[in-house]
Amino acid sequence: MESPFKTEAQWYDGTSAVRHSGELTWDGGETFELTSPTARDGFAASDLVFGEARSRTVIYRRESTPDFRLILPADIPPGLAARLPAAHTYGAWVDRLGLGKAAGIFAVVSIAAVALFMTAPDWLGPRIPTSWERNIGDAMVGDFGGRICHTPAGDAALAKLLEKVDPEEEKVRAGVANMEMVNAVALPGGQVLLFDGLVQQAESAEELAGVLAHEVGHVRERHVMTALLRQFGLSILLAGADSGVTNSVFGLASMGYSRDAEREADDYARARMAQSNVSPLGAAGFFERMADEYGDTEDSNALVGWLASHPSSGERAKAYRDAARKGAEYPPVLTEDEFKALKTMCEQDPEVEEFEFF
Amino acid sequence: MGGSHDIDGADSAFVFEGNWKDFARIALPNLLLTIVTLGIYRFWATARERQYLWSRTRFVDEHLEWSGTGKELFLGFLIVLVLFGVPYFGVTFIAQALIARGHEAIGTALGVLAFASIFYLGGVARFRGLRYRLSRTRWRGIRGGSDHNGFVFGLSYMWKNIVGWLPAGLLIPWSMTSLWNERWNKMSFGPFAFETSAEPGGVFARFLLFYLAPFVLFVGGVIMAGMGMLAGYGVGGEDGVAIGGFLGFLGLILFFYLGLGLIAVAFYAKFYREVVGATRWRELHFTFEASTIDWIKLLVIDAVLVVFTFGIGLIFLSYRHWKFFMTHLEAGGEILLDELTQSQTSTAKHGEGLLDAFDMGAI
Ligand SMILES: [Zn+2]
Repeated sequence: MESPFKTEAQWYDGTSAVRHSGELTWDGGETFELTSPTARDGFAASDLVFGEARSRTVIYRRESTPDFRLILPADIPPGLAARLPAAHTYGAWVDRLGLGKAAGIFAVVSIAAVALFMTAPDWLGPRIPTSWERNIGDAMVGDFGGRICHTPAGDAALAKLLEKVDPEEEKVRAGVANMEMVNAVALPGGQVLLFDGLVQQAESAEELAGVLAHEVGHVRERHVMTALLRQFGLSILLAGADSGVTNSVFGLASMGYSRDAEREADDYARARMAQSNVSPLGAAGFFERMADEYGDTEDSNALVGWLASHPSSGERAKAYRDAARKGAEYPPVLTEDEFKALKTMCEQDPEVEEFEFF
Repeated sequence: MGGSHDIDGADSAFVFEGNWKDFARIALPNLLLTIVTLGIYRFWATARERQYLWSRTRFVDEHLEWSGTGKELFLGFLIVLVLFGVPYFGVTFIAQALIARGHEAIGTALGVLAFASIFYLGGVARFRGLRYRLSRTRWRGIRGGSDHNGFVFGLSYMWKNIVGWLPAGLLIPWSMTSLWNERWNKMSFGPFAFETSAEPGGVFARFLLFYLAPFVLFVGGVIMAGMGMLAGYGVGGEDGVAIGGFLGFLGLILFFYLGLGLIAVAFYAKFYREVVGATRWRELHFTFEASTIDWIKLLVIDAVLVVFTFGIGLIFLSYRHWKFFMTHLEAGGEILLDELTQSQTSTAKHGEGLLDAFDMGAI
């Protein structure tokens, strides 16, 4: 059969840099043939794949010989052009859909993925079983390196305080950490720590009850896992920037809760205190002092981690003050001796580790 | 039709024939797709850009070809993520847990170890980035590559950099040229290896500018600040002195940073002229002719382009830099086409290493 389809062609066989110039012929069936004064080559039409389009030429490759290159002029007779593999531009998916449509679909999927990622801590956090959270917490901080103060009297006082603000059968693990910061944290795994600095500046046991109740609130409302997931998501986004040991315990301590979570924890604290007949005026006094000392803006001082992520101290003091029943007599939550035992707990524990790293 | 090419000085061996309008037709859809895919498309975008830039670059009588794909770059990225990102994350997690438990020393040591491994892998990535680019660059159907995997180079990269920095940075020119030689001597194109013998002596004088210039700049800056104060006094008495002094101080800081930037450019200009000039392949020798002024022009126009297009100009930087390299790169000598046969180096099925995953420059 006479070959109806022909075009000039150049090719490289892929084994040497020598260029062949001649003709490409299609027999109308399944075979292409290349002929030049010095070389001859034939291959199946289905073997040819598109390589790239240049300004005046198109490059094809061969599936079976990846190094082979065929260079054809960009304007090819229509009959032959129909048999050549189609060009691709952006990549298989986009080419199939068209640029506009593909961009639209990608945008919708991306927005959905971002929304899922951003909201995941809120809906996923509370659904993670408590036992998992406990394991994660144990893996992250363990026993806090022996920096938790223990004396028999102090432990008893803390247990009594906890009894008032944590109604659950299985109590959170509470402790006083041998650190001088005025701070308190709820760690993953239902571990609540009052820092000794906060205990030292407390003027009454009711103040400590308020702070403890608030942190227990974070644990019971599952805020910790939510915050942990948020932190984890952030560190994925900032991967690399957040390297090394900088993001250690203090990364956890400064782990932020949302304003709503803080309100929930405060509500929880007030409800427990009302239930156990603990005066909220102590907590109110604490926040008033904080407002005096550190100013009343919502995040006035980044160093005061616990206060920074919490609603304005003045506003919170008022909420606690309003929660007090008019004219009611509250019994003291701890005796003088018990409160004193809490205050001297770290000083009198001979085995506690110093927190010296920072 | 084999024969040979004699490359003489009349025509440049490397000619770039692209234009920015054609490039924009690639770069703008790339930008759109990269945004709507939250950055995932960037691997395909990179491949498309390189395909354009390579194919519009002529070496003697044939265009280059970029045969890398977006998919393999994406795969390379995933491999880096799984093989290195996840263990790195694990080690830093363990380090933090140890510190929280009071084992500060071990925890910190682990953190340092994680940092050292990143340093090492940075060296391996530099090697592999270049190997990948050569293995995906074709000319007349022939590609480059390397028989080495870069693990030894990673070690050299660590110790040579440390030795370079130790004596107040004085050996940096040595470490840079020596690493260039070590890397390029292990690369090949077709059947023939590259050979380089760059000497640190050639760039050392420029490097000394880093040490001398701060003094010169400081004295100049103090004079400027003093003149500012005097001028301020002339305009507004005592208050004028303060304002004039402040402006002078600002000038000093600007002068200082600009000055150091200029020295860095001057050094790199010289460095590239030296190392490319010391690189040979078979009977070919290469030269790179960009002067300090050329580099400054490139960078200033880069900055202007980015600032005045509110960042969109960023997408043209790869175009501008490629054009810059190709315009100033020259080659001379002879190529025997008959002996230029296909490279026998093995090629990876994916983009190699961090460099290409994060698209850092390989040259
Ligand atoms: Zn809180």
